[in-house]
Amino acid sequence: MIRFAGLRKTYGPLVAVDDLDFEVEPGRVFGFLGRNGAGKTTTIRMMMGLLEPTAGTVTLDGHDIAREPEAAKAITGYLPDRPNLYDKLTSLEYLRFVGGLYGLGTHDAKARGLSLLEEFRLADRAHELIETFSHGMKQRLALAGALIHQPRVLVLDEPIVGLDPQGAVELRRLLGRLAEAGVTIFMSTHSLPVAEELCHRIAIIDRGALVALGTLAELRARAAGSTAGPRDGEPGVAASLERVFLDILEADAA
Amino acid sequence: MTLLAPRLLAARNAYRGHPRRMWVLGVLAGLFWVGSLVLFVKVLGYFQTIGEFGPLLTQRLLLLIFVSFFAVLLISNTVTALTTFYLADDVNVLLAAPVSRRRLHRARFVETLVASSWMVLLFGLPAFLAYGVVYEAGPVFYGATVLVLLPYLVVPTALGVLVTTGLVMVFPARRTRDAMLVGVGLLVAAIVGVIRTLQPEQLAHPSGLAGLAGFLAGFEATGSPYLPTTWAAEVLVPLLGGRDGDPLFHFAMLVSTAAMLYVVSATVVERVFLTAWSRAQTGRVRDGGGERPLSRWLERLARPLPRIPALLFQKDLTVFLRDASQWSQLLLLFALVGIYVYNFSVLPLEDGSPLGRAMRDIATVLNLGLAAFVSTAIAVRFVYPMVSLEGRAWWILRTAPVALRRVWWSKFWIGYVPLVGFAALLIAGTNGYLAVPPVLTAVFLATLVPLMAALVSLGLGFGAAYPRLDTQNAAQIATGFGAILYMVTSLTLITLVMALEAWPTWRLLRYYRAPEAFGTGEMAGFAAAYAAAFVAMVAAFVVARRVGLRALERLPI
Repeated sequence: MIRFAGLRKTYGPLVAVDDLDFEVEPGRVFGFLGRNGAGKTTTIRMMMGLLEPTAGTVTLDGHDIAREPEAAKAITGYLPDRPNLYDKLTSLEYLRFVGGLYGLGTHDAKARGLSLLEEFRLADRAHELIETFSHGMKQRLALAGALIHQPRVLVLDEPIVGLDPQGAVELRRLLGRLAEAGVTIFMSTHSLPVAEELCHRIAIIDRGALVALGTLAELRARAAGSTAGPRDGEPGVAASLERVFLDILEADAA
Repeated sequence: MTLLAPRLLAARNAYRGHPRRMWVLGVLAGLFWVGSLVLFVKVLGYFQTIGEFGPLLTQRLLLLIFVSFFAVLLISNTVTALTTFYLADDVNVLLAAPVSRRRLHRARFVETLVASSWMVLLFGLPAFLAYGVVYEAGPVFYGATVLVLLPYLVVPTALGVLVTTGLVMVFPARRTRDAMLVGVGLLVAAIVGVIRTLQPEQLAHPSGLAGLAGFLAGFEATGSPYLPTTWAAEVLVPLLGGRDGDPLFHFAMLVSTAAMLYVVSATVVERVFLTAWSRAQTGRVRDGGGERPLSRWLERLARPLPRIPALLFQKDLTVFLRDASQWSQLLLLFALVGIYVYNFSVLPLEDGSPLGRAMRDIATVLNLGLAAFVSTAIAVRFVYPMVSLEGRAWWILRTAPVALRRVWWSKFWIGYVPLVGFAALLIAGTNGYLAVPPVLTAVFLATLVPLMAALVSLGLGFGAAYPRLDTQNAAQIATGFGAILYMVTSLTLITLVMALEAWPTWRLLRYYRAPEAFGTGEMAGFAAAYAAAFVAMVAAFVVARRVGLRALERLPI
């Protein structure tokens, strides 16, 4: 469903993303992990056509984002790490606008917008200007915007940041439901419990390069193999993703 | 100083990031500065020659300068203080840091003063220098000018901080800002209108001076001995050698008042800052209510348009009408148009003299260019900021399945239709006053169609190449470096088109006054001139569109 082929981005001598080559299967939740500045957001931006790669391609459902950007974007929903929206629009006006951009008719966009506002606990603020919203509310509204056209691929950049505990739980449930419905989800996150709970496969990126890729079990096995053995009080087989993550990054740095 | 460091470092980094830009701006500012100085020296020198009456006039004028600047400073400080004290994001950081309110006030006070006053200094210093030159004043005058300016600038800053703090305590900050922006728009429009109705062109006639003298005499009321503006003028006038006075006393009055107001503003801010800051953080939430009527009206209005232009039209117009920083500029626009048309209505065209006829012909030839120039002044406020106003929300359009060229075309039509309509009305109306033959009006209107297209394309191109995504204030966007380049480029194009079309226009005018057949060579010349003008406009449109699209692709998100 999503395919990275030799994706690379350099800024002069700095290599931000280094030859990414992997695929994400349809209907799967894919976790994209890495430290701050590892290249996650740069990768996602290239994936959404917001940044031109130095080399390589990203294909979304068979559409190369560089060659057929409109076709690729039409089936994709995107939530950026900072959801800057049009402050002077109301939340319903925003959703109707975004729906229209994705080809929904006026009435469909309105009906779908109202139902999403209900789902994201924003129905009572449908006619309020976005400038009066908190960060978490904007985050939920931006996610509603990403879902308005019922995308087949959902790209989320740090979706948990800014959400309250209730919002975070609801988001996890929603992503689970979407994946069951066949939506492919590509998610960068710092929240390892979320990745652990939701992701079918996980990629770890460090200094722009892919350092690990697999299911959580595969990553655990790899981490166990790359370290001297289980640490105090941490059985190697059932090690948390946090431990696995740190072990892999340490092994990669060594 | 520590609290001011981020601003100073940001300014230094801005210079390092764009040294060439800074040089261009520096040169433009320098040219403006020297030009203003020369103009002031000429005007003051001319006034001085009018016998005994002259010095009185120039002294009154100095007071007028102080009073006008003071009014501008008061407004600009009030608006700036709202941002620096109550809306800036970094206040959060300072509040959390072990920084006393007094230090915070001091740092923000200096920032407000500098941000609001540099423009006045830029405009004002040539005027003060000109006084020194014309009166052949000694170094004491120049030194005193610098000393006077400091407390003179502190007074409106302190008042601005106090007014803003008071307003924020009563209204939420966003509403306060909106109300202020509308107030400023109205005030500027009123000032422009008043200056125009004074008919400065009458000063060219000695008899017209009587009117000005009358105006300045009426101005006596603002010369109250209790006003800081009077004290500032009273320090400088005796030092110019104009007449006797007590500069030291007035200087002491000015300094002590400035110091007192500074302390009052510091004390008030220290006491109520946290309350005011907390109130400033709240926006206005409506009490219930359904869909806003504006959405419905715009939806109906946009129904005949294709999908993407309709969406962008609704979105852009909604934002425009809800953002006071954008729509309040319409007030200025109305003032500008009113003045433009008024100018034509007062031209002495109907006196039947050869001078009247010549003026009518010159005005006709220039009218196309002048109307285009007024349209550029409007485009720089409404078209140029279009890309920047997408701001940080630009990702929404960029990740949508909409080609950039469609976004560009939508923005183009949103800017073009009102602008060309406006320019056409302006030309048709003013040509009516000038009794221009309909054929020539038709030629002008036909020129406007590609000319306005080129101006809008240039506006979008420069707007995308020099985006200001950090500010949502359209008025601020329209004063940036790119806006200056846009104005200069547009004026060059307009001048070129006007120059190419001047001769055919002139010739057509003559033909309608006294018919005389055109020669073949003349006809070919007309065709060549119009073709060249058309090519220039189309080339500007195409190049600007290409540059604009490329810049849109690279617009940071």
